[in-house]
Amino acid sequence: MKTVKLGIIGLGYIGKVHLRHSLKIKNACVSATADLSKKALNKAKKAGVKKTFTNYEELLKEPEIDAVIIGLPTHLHLQSAKQAAEAKKHIFLEKPIARNIEEAKEILCTAKKNSVRLMIGYPLRFNTTFRNLKKELENGTVGEAEITHAAYISTGPFMHRAEAHTPIPVPEWWFNKELTGGGALIDLGSHIINLLRWYFGEITDIKSLLGYRYNLNLEDSATCLAKFENGTRAVINVGWFSQGYQLKVDVYGSVKNTTAQHAPSNPILTVFQTLTRGISEFYQPHYAELQYFVNRVINDQSPSPSGEDGLKDLEAIAKAYKNQIRLH
Amino acid sequence: MKGYPLSLVSFVQIKNSNLAEAIETSLDLINYDFSKDIKNIVIKPNLCYYWDYSTGQTTDPKFTAALINLIRTHTSPDLNISIVESDASAMQCKYAFKMLGYEKLAENHNVNLINLSEDPYETVNVTAGKCSFKIMVPKTIQEADLKINAPKIKYTMEPIKLTCALKNIFGCNPYPKKYRYHSRLEEAIVAINKAMKFDLHIIDGNIVSGIQPRKLGLIMASQDPVAIDVAAAEIAGINPKTIKYLKLASKEDLGNTTYIPKGESISQFKKGYPRKTIKNKLMNKTYTLLIRAGLGKRLGLE
Repeated sequence: MKTVKLGIIGLGYIGKVHLRHSLKIKNACVSATADLSKKALNKAKKAGVKKTFTNYEELLKEPEIDAVIIGLPTHLHLQSAKQAAEAKKHIFLEKPIARNIEEAKEILCTAKKNSVRLMIGYPLRFNTTFRNLKKELENGTVGEAEITHAAYISTGPFMHRAEAHTPIPVPEWWFNKELTGGGALIDLGSHIINLLRWYFGEITDIKSLLGYRYNLNLEDSATCLAKFENGTRAVINVGWFSQGYQLKVDVYGSVKNTTAQHAPSNPILTVFQTLTRGISEFYQPHYAELQYFVNRVINDQSPSPSGEDGLKDLEAIAKAYKNQIRLH
Repeated sequence: MKGYPLSLVSFVQIKNSNLAEAIETSLDLINYDFSKDIKNIVIKPNLCYYWDYSTGQTTDPKFTAALINLIRTHTSPDLNISIVESDASAMQCKYAFKMLGYEKLAENHNVNLINLSEDPYETVNVTAGKCSFKIMVPKTIQEADLKINAPKIKYTMEPIKLTCALKNIFGCNPYPKKYRYHSRLEEAIVAINKAMKFDLHIIDGNIVSGIQPRKLGLIMASQDPVAIDVAAAEIAGINPKTIKYLKLASKEDLGNTTYIPKGESISQFKKGYPRKTIKNKLMNKTYTLLIRAGLGKRLGLE
């Protein structure tokens, strides 16, 4: 079987997660990485990556690379994904696909024009619990899903932990709406919207109520009301305001109610799982999505979530930003 | 100990959410009066990362606002008041002021927000224990007639154990990469306190951060940073004798390790503080060791 040669662009938080898992997936090898940080590149070298670049354009010139994993800040998605497509590399692009619909369309168009596969990183679709919920919905055991509550509440980009030896600064771009395309709604909401679209079909209408607890020019929380083409109504809550972590979907169906959630396991279990399996339960979906992407590239099949999915998610988010509810 | 003949520490329970009244009572109990000659005041809250006051990690802007109103009532409404903080390894003041509600406070109360990392400074040589330091003393702090420290009571990593009055002044060090001091942090805390001596220490113990945040409703005040830290350590269930920098600070004439309690009994606050259990301590040590060994990310802990 063919081995897919991967290039990883961006070694920030998510890039490092992808590198760690890419080194473990079957039928793939990491040929090169690119990042501005020499420290991150040195670590990648130590992990076994032969070629490292401070400029990703150099990485894209490498003829042996079949596909790239892009984990750059959102404002760099358009440029990097376009260049990767033009270099005929298949693309795994972190969510959200881009800052806005126009950029997303341009990425899609360039990928299509150059006949490369484009997958958007939505690990929830590879999470066993959320996959089981999909099966439950499909096989009718829940009946018709009338109402759904979905919540993704976390620290967002403000993830420094008091226990950590070296404090983790928040990259500057996270504070700039022009660079992110929005706040918690685009960051965490894209995960939930993508998941619920997978369950219930397209969104027919959506409204939002945004929160600004931290006085930034981007929202740190959002409550959305959405209606799907199958008739299901959803309340979606996302937020960056809590040191607690909650990622949960409750479905209230005509036959029964059901819940799926993704929770971090306790530190002892995490260490145990990492030592015994190489990957903790928490990160298993990240591993699975990369393995899936590589398999799709090998078999020359379109991946899902696709670039079109990324665009539809962004269209729903744009609509939610436009249709804001104001409560006094 | 020289300079602090009476190390009074007051303990006041906040009643009916009236912060101003509790702060005033805490100052009355230690016989503190604001001088009428004061022109420039510096207030140093504890702004830690971007965690807001509800976590117990940072000084509540409502507490700082009540303190500002009280100072102006007792002195002059035209006083120049500056709230100071410095950039840290993972925190930028410009965002912390905004996110933690201090930008709004400054607008509403006509006070200055000073990022000490951008303030002009003078370098002074200070020794603490066997270590020598070159400490940058910001101009705003040098020029203040009255310097008020408004810390929190928090656990922190070994061997420091406690973050309160003395450790909060460590945050006046304008050098952002503060983790560079961590190999001799105890001495650095003392040295910075020697270089920038604060006159008054008022603890915002309304919400405290132990193993979890809890509403304790406590205000403490003292002119002695060592004494107030000793009392805070007792509340947090840490034997103050095991905190080396308190011993060093006392040796370096920053304050007394004994104090005269005033106001309410300390026992009710000791009882209410969310203290570490043996399980917490073991977990925390294991966690810290794994992270320090560089295994945090690899093991999925960070």
